[in-house]
Amino acid sequence: MSAVASLVIYGAVIGGIWALVAAGFSLIFGVMRVLNFGHGAIFISAAYATVAFAAFGMHIAFVGSLLIGLAVGLIIYFLIKPVRKKEITAVIVTLAFALLVQHLLLLIFGNRGLTVQPVVDGLFEVFGAKFAAIRVVTLIAAILVLLALETVMRTSFGKQITAVSEDSDAAMLLGIDVERVYLLVILISSLLAAIAGYFYVQVFSVNPELGLKVLIYAFAIVILGGLGSIKGSVISSFILGYIIAATILFLSPRWSELVMLLAIVLTLIIRPYGIFGVKE
Amino acid sequence: MKLAFIYFLTGLLAYFILPEAYLYTVGFAMLFAALSASWDLTVGYTGQVNLGHTTFVGLGAYIFAVLLAGRLGFEFNIYVAFLAAILVSASLGAAFGAIALRLRGYYFALITAILPLVFMQTVFIFSEVFGGEEGFSIGLERGVTPEWRYLFALLVSFAVLSILLLIVRSRFGVRFMAIRDNEELAEAIGIDTTKYKVLSFTISSAMAGFVGAAIVLYRITVSPDLYSVDLMLMIILASVVGGIGTIYGPFFFGLLVYLLKVFVVREFLLSFGLRMSDEIILYAILIIAAIMMPNGIAAMFKRHIKRID
Repeated sequence: MSAVASLVIYGAVIGGIWALVAAGFSLIFGVMRVLNFGHGAIFISAAYATVAFAAFGMHIAFVGSLLIGLAVGLIIYFLIKPVRKKEITAVIVTLAFALLVQHLLLLIFGNRGLTVQPVVDGLFEVFGAKFAAIRVVTLIAAILVLLALETVMRTSFGKQITAVSEDSDAAMLLGIDVERVYLLVILISSLLAAIAGYFYVQVFSVNPELGLKVLIYAFAIVILGGLGSIKGSVISSFILGYIIAATILFLSPRWSELVMLLAIVLTLIIRPYGIFGVKE
Repeated sequence: MKLAFIYFLTGLLAYFILPEAYLYTVGFAMLFAALSASWDLTVGYTGQVNLGHTTFVGLGAYIFAVLLAGRLGFEFNIYVAFLAAILVSASLGAAFGAIALRLRGYYFALITAILPLVFMQTVFIFSEVFGGEEGFSIGLERGVTPEWRYLFALLVSFAVLSILLLIVRSRFGVRFMAIRDNEELAEAIGIDTTKYKVLSFTISSAMAGFVGAAIVLYRITVSPDLYSVDLMLMIILASVVGGIGTIYGPFFFGLLVYLLKVFVVREFLLSFGLRMSDEIILYAILIIAAIMMPNGIAAMFKRHIKRID
């Protein structure tokens, strides 16, 4: 029973964190039609900012990590701006930026795994399995942030985002400031990734390569959930989270990427356009 | 083809002129050039954005090294090891291509981007065979001897370049380009688009595996960096700056970019006594260059190639 309980919580925590990253990645693609390979860099910068600011207290670290996340997002916005229409060049620029951030973090923090003392201590006990309270807090925070995103998407600003993602030229003709929507979408997505980074580093340990790894998971999630669909990303994040949690518990963490690939390949054999994707 | 022969003769000439200290790097640059040219077949000619080319480089390298060095308990002949590296890369390319190439555009790019990181994990999972983080050495006695090393790299790169040129100028090449330019139209005139996309991806992967194995023979060691995203980015960079869809462009810019990386960026860092990886400078330059001139050099280069060839 305790194994089942720990699987339920563990998978949900991983799924929740990835949902924050993948939803932002998917949102940026949906609106700007750009594959932001720098999205993992926002996540990892926020996680390391949490490490750096942790000495001043976790609340200051929270603000600090969000600010760093937003700053990195802003840099990405300006890097993408001139090459938005050229898909491969946009990939080169954002991928080069991601690797640049990785090497800088390696230079500053070194290669060893880092973690911080979580903002809440203590243990929960469910069906005989014990969890650090921070995991439950992380899960709740992720769900609240995703609900907030859902609410934002229903406001008139959210409708502007949807309009731009469906047809940016038509949206412009209707008087929507498309450039402003682009900027705000990147900032919102950065905020989601930064929150994910802030909580991730309290639950797991981080190293500079994690930025790319998280990006790879975001790719897997959007392949399954459909590019541009936030709902699809969230659902497939949790599905993949459970698959990975089961792999880590029953095999070893090293197998998680292989199992993830296997899951994608099997899904694609059965449904060539992903679980929620539609045929083009 | 004329340019390929000029390349071979110039390379041969350089062997007698260049000081030996430089030959090692130049030979390595030639192998890298072969990698970026082989990437071009899928991306530039068939129009499928493949971000997982290094999967096959690493796979070919590891299969070759494991068989040659007898890490499975039995030492294989060098030709068998080469053949196995090519066949395994080609089969994985064909199998993966058959599944993933049904996906269009962005989805294909994303799923190929996942591949190298996944395969890199196999190195750590089976670390007693693959040597884990540090990789392993195949042993000096099994590598190419230093005096033949450069000529070996020249020959491998010339072979890859020539085969690629023959393919893109054959009727296969014409079909690949038809798919790239307009997939619906290609299908309408009776081209089995999926079959040719898979074929293009398979050939490209087989060549990556072959060059990966050649790199092992060249530098004696194999390590996870052959799967790395850094190598993938270098390939994309060289190809896009050189102009995709030309074979020559990615090839010669691959050569140039690698030499610049080693001789200019590394020397620059050393002269300032900066102890950091040359990648940081390289990526910074790359970002600035890509933003300032998205298609400047490529277009210029393409015009000149047409005139010479």
